[in-house]
Amino acid sequence: MSGRGPAVGANVPDDGLTTRHSGQPFGVGASAAVGADVSADVSDDGLTDAAAVSFENVSKWFRSKARLTHALSQVSFSVEPEEFVSLIGPSGCGKSTMLRLAGGLLEADRGRVAVHSRPPDEARRQKRYGFVPQHPALLPWRTVRDNVSLLCEVNRRSSVAGMAEHDKLAMLDAIGLTPFLDALPQELSGGLQQRASIARAFALGAPLLLMDEPFSALDEITRADMRYLLLDLWRRNAKTVLFVTHSIPEAVALSDRVVVLSGRPGRVTTVVEVALSRPRHAGVEDSDEFHRILAEVRDALRHGWSH
Amino acid sequence: MAGSGSAFEEAPPETAAPEAPEASQGLAAAAEGDAEEIAGRRFEEPPELPRRPLRRALLLAAPFAGLTGLLAVWEVYVEVRDLRPLTLPQPSQVLRHVAENPGFYAQNGWVTVQEAFLGFVLAFVAAVVVATVMAHSELFERASTPVIVLMQSTPVAVLVPIFLLWFGFSPWPKILTAMLFAWVPFVANALIGLRSVDVDTHELLRSVNAGRWEIYWRLRIPHSLPYLFAAGRICVGLALVGAVVGEFFNSRDGLGNAARVAQSRLLVEQLWGSVFVLAFIGVAFVLLLMAVEKRVLRWHASQAGGHRGIQA
Ligand SMILES: Nc1ncnc2c1ncn2[C@@H]1O[C@H](COP(=O)(O)OP(=O)(O)OP(=O)(O)O)[C@@H](O)[C@H]1O
Ligand SMILES: [Mg+2]
Repeated sequence: MSGRGPAVGANVPDDGLTTRHSGQPFGVGASAAVGADVSADVSDDGLTDAAAVSFENVSKWFRSKARLTHALSQVSFSVEPEEFVSLIGPSGCGKSTMLRLAGGLLEADRGRVAVHSRPPDEARRQKRYGFVPQHPALLPWRTVRDNVSLLCEVNRRSSVAGMAEHDKLAMLDAIGLTPFLDALPQELSGGLQQRASIARAFALGAPLLLMDEPFSALDEITRADMRYLLLDLWRRNAKTVLFVTHSIPEAVALSDRVVVLSGRPGRVTTVVEVALSRPRHAGVEDSDEFHRILAEVRDALRHGWSH
Repeated sequence: MAGSGSAFEEAPPETAAPEAPEASQGLAAAAEGDAEEIAGRRFEEPPELPRRPLRRALLLAAPFAGLTGLLAVWEVYVEVRDLRPLTLPQPSQVLRHVAENPGFYAQNGWVTVQEAFLGFVLAFVAAVVVATVMAHSELFERASTPVIVLMQSTPVAVLVPIFLLWFGFSPWPKILTAMLFAWVPFVANALIGLRSVDVDTHELLRSVNAGRWEIYWRLRIPHSLPYLFAAGRICVGLALVGAVVGEFFNSRDGLGNAARVAQSRLLVEQLWGSVFVLAFIGVAFVLLLMAVEKRVLRWHASQAGGHRGIQA
């Protein structure tokens, strides 16, 4: 597995961390504070107790009548609070499966998955993460506005209140959905549908986001724009993000760390640190450092392919 | 979760100043893409939609023309072959008879409509309840499937005498017959509908631990509506048939009874008049249902609309 220590709370460039932590009383205040406290205090196995998401030797098989699929093999890594981590790997290597495990939507066959040291299913019951599925999954009979508030409406017993209305409108405006609030999903382009799906996850106001290739339906240019929009939203809302993507530039531009996976069964080949300063803007993609890291991730991916 | 996601629009004070211009630029370009781009360009008038008033008028008139055509051919055919009215009366003759006895047809028609409507509603409710339980319990589904198949393949009409034994001269034998005729298509479609839930949306709702009932109301019921409306259109006709069959066996009123009496006394005009009025009632109900469907299923692919609507 990774020769690099997976716990990087302390390795995030200084300005990045401080800007995000300072002066902002976020809903995740408690966990953020805990994260800041213990991120230096790394336990022996390289996992901090306060990790927002942690995988320890997780293996997963899918059984059906016809075949047995080994999807994940001995996967270990962790995501610190307010960290942005990308999963990248060849198609079918189990990235979506990892998100589902982190969200308590699937059970691991071996190993342990935890969200803030608790079983992921608990996070699911308490609505403590926003899920952006690989397909936008908008309800066709609801307007964009109503789709965005769907996750807040269901399971009201949990204590999550959702974003305040005022903040939600500002978020929708930033994401470019304001002119389409009363439209039905079928009236939107694929890219706008994905924005609605992202907005829906943000509107929940949960401290963790699990995003499965949210930009896959976008053209290259919009996609590049969306990166920095997402980073902006992330910075203002103090989220931990676990982000699945196929695009190397996307992973590097967005992340604090990139977890590179091998082909099926997925295992972690390398964890690449992205030591680019934050906040990042489109210009970062022209820097030498960016390209160096890009090449590093690419080589790791190639390497993983042959395994 | 006090203050979750608060102070959204306030950038952190320390960093806001140096990066503001750059950040806001990048953000504007990314965020307002679709909306603002247009403002930058010269405003362009959309092309006039082709009006084609003749085509519109023709489309509106076509159903009536079809119906009139059928009646006209019928009328001429009877005239030319010189058929006896007992074999086949001319439609003009039948329509005149209906127009001359509006009270008779209205009264009997109203009886039949009530029976058919009640049967239709009961079939709908029973089917949705049963399909709901079936969709949630594999055990119940396996147990009830043979019963439903049995009901599907038994000629329901033979049950009417039994209902008569039970309920005598009340509307209930007819309502029950109407219900039994209509309910099998309803159950079958409701079950398919309740099952045809989009897996991605289902998973999304599971990600916030939505309960069974929430998934039922927010996902399953809306997904089953297109199937239920499709079944409804078929069942309007079936419920009417059921009510009329019930009236054939034993009744003092209703259009089925009117037709039966007319047949035994060779009142050809009344016999055909009943048929005409029944057909009219059926069409009226289907049109009503389609109007409701058009409103309720605005989002569904079956309603041509939006930019992906398939134009004929
Ligand atoms: N519910 C399931 N039943 C059976 N096999 C499954 C199931 N879900 C996933 N798999 C299998 O597990 C493997 C990993 O699937 P997963 O969807 O996690 O891949 P992925 O990395 O997200 O791929 P992609 O990049 O194409 O989205 C695949 O081979 C897939 O066929
Ligand atoms: Mg996937």
